Amino acid sequence: MIRTRTLAQAAGQALELLRGQEDVVEAEVFVAANTSLVARIHFTSHIPCNGVEEPKSLESVGLGIQAVFRSPDGLRIGFGSEPNDLTPEGARRALAKARQAAVADPEFVSLPRPGAERRRLRRYHDPALLRLSDSDLVEAGWKVIARGLDVFARSQVLARMAGSGEALFRLGLILSGDVSILQERIAIASTSMPGVQADESTLILSSLTAMVEAADAKGSGWSTGTRLADFTGDSGAEAAENALRAIGGERVRSGRYRVIFGRQPVADLLNNLVLPCLSLGSFYTETSAFQGMLGKRVASPLLTLFDHGALRGATASRGITCEGLPTGKTRLIQRGRLVGLLANFYEQQRILQDPQAAARLGRDPRAVPKALVPRNGFRFGEGGGRRFEAAPGISPTNVILESSRPVSREELLTQVGDGLCIGRIWYTYPINGLRAGDFTCTVVGDSFLIRDGRLAAPIQANAIRINDNILRVLHGIVGITADRRETTVWAADEVIHAPEIAVADVRVDAIAEPRESSTPGTTPTPK
Amino acid sequence: MDDSSLTIDLIGEVKAAIADDFTRQARRFGCRYADLRLEVVESQYAWAENGNSKGSGKDDALAFGIRVIAGDGISAPGYYGQSLGAADRARLARVIREGLRHAHERAIANARGKSAAMAAFPSLATAFWNTRLAPAPVHRDTVPAVFEVDPRSVPLADIVALTREISSAVKATAPAIAFNAIAALTQISRELFVSTEGALIDQAFALTQGTCYVVAQDGTVTQELTDAVGHQRGWEVLSRGVQDPPGAPLLSFPDFRTFASALAGDAVRLTRARPAPTTEGEVTVVTDPHFTALLAHEIIGHPTELDRALKMETGYAGRSWLLRSLDETQVGKPIASPLVTAFSDPALPGFGQYRYDHEGVPARRVIHIDRGIFQDFMNSRQTAAIFGGEPNGHCKATDPSLIPLIRMSNTVFARGDRDPRDIIQEIDHGYYLVGHRTPSIAESRENFRISAMKVYEIRNGELGQLFRDGGIMADSQAYLTQVDAVGTDFRLIPIPNCGKGQPMQTKRVGNGGPTLRSRAILTGSTE
Repeated sequence: MIRTRTLAQAAGQALELLRGQEDVVEAEVFVAANTSLVARIHFTSHIPCNGVEEPKSLESVGLGIQAVFRSPDGLRIGFGSEPNDLTPEGARRALAKARQAAVADPEFVSLPRPGAERRRLRRYHDPALLRLSDSDLVEAGWKVIARGLDVFARSQVLARMAGSGEALFRLGLILSGDVSILQERIAIASTSMPGVQADESTLILSSLTAMVEAADAKGSGWSTGTRLADFTGDSGAEAAENALRAIGGERVRSGRYRVIFGRQPVADLLNNLVLPCLSLGSFYTETSAFQGMLGKRVASPLLTLFDHGALRGATASRGITCEGLPTGKTRLIQRGRLVGLLANFYEQQRILQDPQAAARLGRDPRAVPKALVPRNGFRFGEGGGRRFEAAPGISPTNVILESSRPVSREELLTQVGDGLCIGRIWYTYPINGLRAGDFTCTVVGDSFLIRDGRLAAPIQANAIRINDNILRVLHGIVGITADRRETTVWAADEVIHAPEIAVADVRVDAIAEPRESSTPGTTPTPK
Repeated sequence: MDDSSLTIDLIGEVKAAIADDFTRQARRFGCRYADLRLEVVESQYAWAENGNSKGSGKDDALAFGIRVIAGDGISAPGYYGQSLGAADRARLARVIREGLRHAHERAIANARGKSAAMAAFPSLATAFWNTRLAPAPVHRDTVPAVFEVDPRSVPLADIVALTREISSAVKATAPAIAFNAIAALTQISRELFVSTEGALIDQAFALTQGTCYVVAQDGTVTQELTDAVGHQRGWEVLSRGVQDPPGAPLLSFPDFRTFASALAGDAVRLTRARPAPTTEGEVTVVTDPHFTALLAHEIIGHPTELDRALKMETGYAGRSWLLRSLDETQVGKPIASPLVTAFSDPALPGFGQYRYDHEGVPARRVIHIDRGIFQDFMNSRQTAAIFGGEPNGHCKATDPSLIPLIRMSNTVFARGDRDPRDIIQEIDHGYYLVGHRTPSIAESRENFRISAMKVYEIRNGELGQLFRDGGIMADSQAYLTQVDAVGTDFRLIPIPNCGKGQPMQTKRVGNGGPTLRSRAILTGSTE
């Protein structure tokens, strides 16, 4: 992998080239080298399989140039990039593309400029993760499989179900997921910044789904971390154990229930519904469910939510954004009140110039400068690292959800009394557009009936669909646990530090029982 | 741009030498099988918001991906992928050789891990197989791109101007238009497939796409609609529209300007419509071809991908209710009304049209449902070796650096024999859903909720009140079984954003069908 120092030198050289161009008014060079290593896991006891199905990697290196050009028609801004060539010749090619692509954007104010905040996070990556070999990657995948299969092989419950150890494979035991490692190195230099900045980050994630398919029982396990030493393979065992807990799942009747959303559903709801509405860009496009609500109540007073990109030891932390600005803490919802938004420099400047800004936000943006600090300008690409070939968008980092009156899990269960504990949801979409807040999803595993304040019985996977509105859910929160766990969502770049939350009156609809299912069940009375 | 730009001619220049070197090196490493995919893309694009240009680009890209099957004793797969640039032309053979070395090392380590797991878990060892591919005919072929107006010949300024003008026109539709974004892309790509079995396939594709995103607002009501036009043809797709084949078109849409204006008009009209009701139980519903296309995508296409059915996506996009185990499938069983036939056909025009897939397999029509009886899955060579049957050419990657997965080509409901006007006129009371919007599908595709752009009430055979924010929810098999009328008005619809895999691959596919009548719960807004 290319050293960070090499990236910084390339950024500096390219900036010198740009400074020498007569028509360049402002310019920024972003250089990145990313490697995404993935061991994709697929074990099925009843269908031939490879175990580690896809040991693979994706590498990209290159530089991107964003420049403002002087032209007879006024200023024009353009972006161009060049892969795998960090020499001045590569920079020249990227510049030529940027010049050719430049357009007059009347809403563009300037390239990112430093503010009052200073960088807080340096030297936080793990060199061991940067040195991973091909066989290390494959072994990481097999480690997870071994931990999961060990749980299955030792299970007395499965042995009884199968009748004999030899017949275990007939139960349809599944382990599916991945170990993903991301090695990111960037450097950025700009005519508006004092010097070349560099950043180096690593992370290792694992996400597993286990099933005992004969019992329609599904469980999840996962791990997150920034250091190779954090990785134990326990996610495989956790998923298998949770699948065993889910055996004997019952069905649930349609109705309204008090629901505890577990960590994965909390992360899923935030990723698909809440965080997009907290992006400053969605206010400009009039599509946020929180339109015009800055400073106003948008959730239960129990809920506080913030993004923190400079949290040492947290998986999604970075030293600087892909705009070269310091990362940091952005308060989003404080005790139920909307107090801040995720922003990059372009959107911040655009809204500050926008005559309709006060109506869009609910406050004059100049009156609330701390609400719109550009700490989230990243060039992420669906888990593939910081992309040199893209201009910055707005992405969350570490998203922390907490309560002003946190409770233990036991207290939360007691609060609910009778209801549902939902541990995993799937295909959560704003079904009528983001602003309407209506959403739907199905419950696919890790879920239980709650009776008399205790987990009573597992809920059968794929047996219910939730149909509700995110604004109503946020206002309906009745409890939030104190403990949180880093949780990821498929294809998302942020990491949610998710507690469990209890919500009143969640609408649930039953899905018809599949023909093959023979699992009988009882159902509590809907509330 | 300077003359050092990458062009698709590179593939023609290097294919013989690269194929020779790759197969020789793969033999030297002792690979049981290896394949290489190499692609060059030349693209131009632009986008505008609210009548202002926001960006554009004229770019080229080069990338490759390698699969190896190797192992001492038992065999296993290993992969490698990388993005390259113009600077890599001179060192291409060396870069590919290095990629092959990585893929081979991963395969060898993977085979070692598989052997160790078989020894450690004897009761589950039968699950691990000796990786192999189903036999497929070996082809050496060259397939040219089809277009009238070469995507490379279009001045970038014309693309910029078109998006800006359309965006201005959309903005001027009505004061209610709060935001719009218009994007256009035209490109030509050329792919090389080489395998150690002797395949050497050189395929080129043109592709042109326009997307329109519009937000309309009237008082407190906001409507957010997005839709795309596109085809694997040249710039004429946007400047003139498409009628393919001419005379009796299956794929048909107007020029981009007319298309975007119509979508804007719909958004404005919908802001004045009442929200759709949610019905207590099933009602008669009729779906137009645009809505039917998404139904085909979600409840026919995805569950008939054999990798899903064989549980390979359990941790991500889910399984399929059509296959419980190798001995327990829906093949040969009735799963739909006898009026329903559905298939995937790469010979139909649109995004799903191609001659060879990314395993070099000739693409052919796969019948999924024949007059109500489930027939077959889309497959890859590996899944065909596991499940049986011949490879049918549906294994595709979004980019050569990513791993091919089983993907839809053009997955459709077949044409029926009823006049769509009669299908509506026969209804005393029901709902007509026009245009798909957002889907949410259960994990094994056994249940769905999909929202529509427009919902009309049907009373006494006539279309009545227009509703917004409506959709349908049903169990897939029940919905398919209750289809009682299928129209003659078959249409193909371009779907620009089908997501699958880890990391997520977003791919263009084709879907379609005619007007369908069945029964479902009408879902409305929670407001």
